[in-house]
Amino acid sequence: MIKIENLVKRYGNLVALDHLNLEIEEGEIFGLLGPNGSGKTTAISCMLALLKYDKGKVTIFGEEMKPDSYKIKQQIGIVLQNVAVFDELTVYENIDYFCGLYVKEKAKRKKLVEEAVQFVGLEEYIKMRPKKLSGGLLRRLNIACGIAHRPRLIIMDEPTVAVDPQSRNRILEGIKELNRQGSTIIYTSHYMEEVEQICTRIAIMDHGRSIASGTKEELKSMIKTGETVTIEAVAIEEAQIREIRQLPHVFDVRYDEQVLTVRCTGAKHNLIRILNYLQENAVSFGRVFSELPTLNDVFLEITGTELRD
Amino acid sequence: MLHLMKYDVKVKLHNFNMLFWPLVFPLVLATFFYFAFGRMEEADFETVPVVIVEEADSAEADAFTEFLKSIEADDTKLITVKKMDEKEAQKALEEKKAAGIFYAGDEPSLTVRGVGLEESILQSLLESYENGRQTMENIAASHPEGIQNAVKQMENYEELVSQVSLGGRTTNGNAQFFYALIAMACMYGCFIGFGSALTLQANLTALAARRCVTPTHKLKLILSEMLTSFGIHFINVIILLLYLKFVLKLEFDGQMPQMLLVSFVGCMIGVSMGIFISSSSKRGEGIKIAILLGISMVCSFLAGLMNSGMKDVVERNCPIINRINPAALISDAFYCINVYDDPLRFRRSLMTLVIMSAVLTIGSFLVIRRERYDNI
Repeated sequence: MIKIENLVKRYGNLVALDHLNLEIEEGEIFGLLGPNGSGKTTAISCMLALLKYDKGKVTIFGEEMKPDSYKIKQQIGIVLQNVAVFDELTVYENIDYFCGLYVKEKAKRKKLVEEAVQFVGLEEYIKMRPKKLSGGLLRRLNIACGIAHRPRLIIMDEPTVAVDPQSRNRILEGIKELNRQGSTIIYTSHYMEEVEQICTRIAIMDHGRSIASGTKEELKSMIKTGETVTIEAVAIEEAQIREIRQLPHVFDVRYDEQVLTVRCTGAKHNLIRILNYLQENAVSFGRVFSELPTLNDVFLEITGTELRD
Repeated sequence: MLHLMKYDVKVKLHNFNMLFWPLVFPLVLATFFYFAFGRMEEADFETVPVVIVEEADSAEADAFTEFLKSIEADDTKLITVKKMDEKEAQKALEEKKAAGIFYAGDEPSLTVRGVGLEESILQSLLESYENGRQTMENIAASHPEGIQNAVKQMENYEELVSQVSLGGRTTNGNAQFFYALIAMACMYGCFIGFGSALTLQANLTALAARRCVTPTHKLKLILSEMLTSFGIHFINVIILLLYLKFVLKLEFDGQMPQMLLVSFVGCMIGVSMGIFISSSSKRGEGIKIAILLGISMVCSFLAGLMNSGMKDVVERNCPIINRINPAALISDAFYCINVYDDPLRFRRSLMTLVIMSAVLTIGSFLVIRRERYDNI
């Protein structure tokens, strides 16, 4: 459905997209995950022909995407990172305006606008102007403006930034529902939990490149980490850390501000082995956590930095 | 297209910034102008009381006293003269019973109690007398045979000159302020144009980016923005003209259709300038507003908004500016209609304005239509 081949975008000496390759299939919720500045928004802007790129090709629905590809644009809906609505129009008027840029027929448009209002739960606010809405409601309006015309492809660029948890959950549920109704979704975010929660396939971006892609299970299976054990422990000596590193299946140990973090490959009884060692060596410890690998671990192992950096 | 235009109008009418500068500000300024000097001709000056102290019993002193008495006797009732001695005169001045003391001696002089209109009038009288005396002395020195005639002329002195335009209509210096004000209002359409460009260029706002990825043709979006901007601003200027004519009761001798034509072209200049400057530069919003405000204010200033003589100064020193300054051209076109009765000059001003706005409009179309962005 969407094919991005060898996309290169430079801002002077800065390479924002470095030979980016992506392929997105119809019916997916495709997540673009990466820290701020990794090139997600630039990739989206190039995809939408909003931004000139230096090299590469973007194909959507089998046709090359250009600024005047109005036939392709007819089937796309976008929800930008920054809220893009008219402050001077009411909630209803805003949705009607943007829907009207895609749908000319008045009666059909009216129905679509009403459905969009209902979909994002803004029925009580249709006569209000955006400035009177809370951050969460504003984001919902932003989404309604992008999806009212029932697009085949919806591109959402960090739609949950600065949104309260309640609105965030509602938005995420809404995205899944849109996908169930037949839309393919491209979703960019730097919140790995969100991407894990809704995306069927994920590409992790860093420095303008896709460093890994696949389902979340596939991504996690690409790395050594099978389990991360975190223990609050007082006064562990350097020699003891070296000994923990020698325990079976342990491949990385860090001790920082009285928190011991041990990364193990996927095997049974990792936690018990580590706790036994601490007891035998009379190391006092407090809270203990054991976590399965996250996308952050994937990012960490591939790039050597935290996703949240 | 109607869908776009309907909402474009709504957006503009609800945007305070888009209405304040092009509509409210000119109305407020017009009101200030009106109260500051719009009614100056109607001002009722009171007769200025003045005291004369005769310092010498000489022909010069007598001549000056006679001069003041002749002014007092004039129908204009500019001054009333009382003869006093020095002590009484000083007392009258202190008690504000007199605005000034004229000393009639070999060299006439004036003492006043402060600075103001009355004091200026007395100063002018003294200067007028001195000039006359100087003239007589010159004639006596160079053409003594004509002195009798000169004295006769001076005695029959009256105002022989009145200011009349070539078109036969009376020129009112204050009218220049109001023509420049209308020109300024037309130029302030640039703020509406600026707002339009913000919603058209994807690298300026997220809103514009969203509009750019829709299947609605870019030219349609641009056309709708331009038409609604021109339309709204033209109505703004019509409101200003109606306010000047019917509320402030200013006399416009020219035909209204011609005035509307000038206003229409003026609005096109203002709006297209705003769109062009906003879209052709990648500078920040604040800088662009400052540029627009600077251009429109400088143009209006040179067209005589703050000083009615400025346009003449420019005409004498650098006339090309008056030929390309849109505000000067607009105000000149108004002058042609209302004062000069000069159709040729009117057509020239109008044609220049039309060409300039056409160039700006086409330029804006090209810049916005072809733009793809280096950064969003």
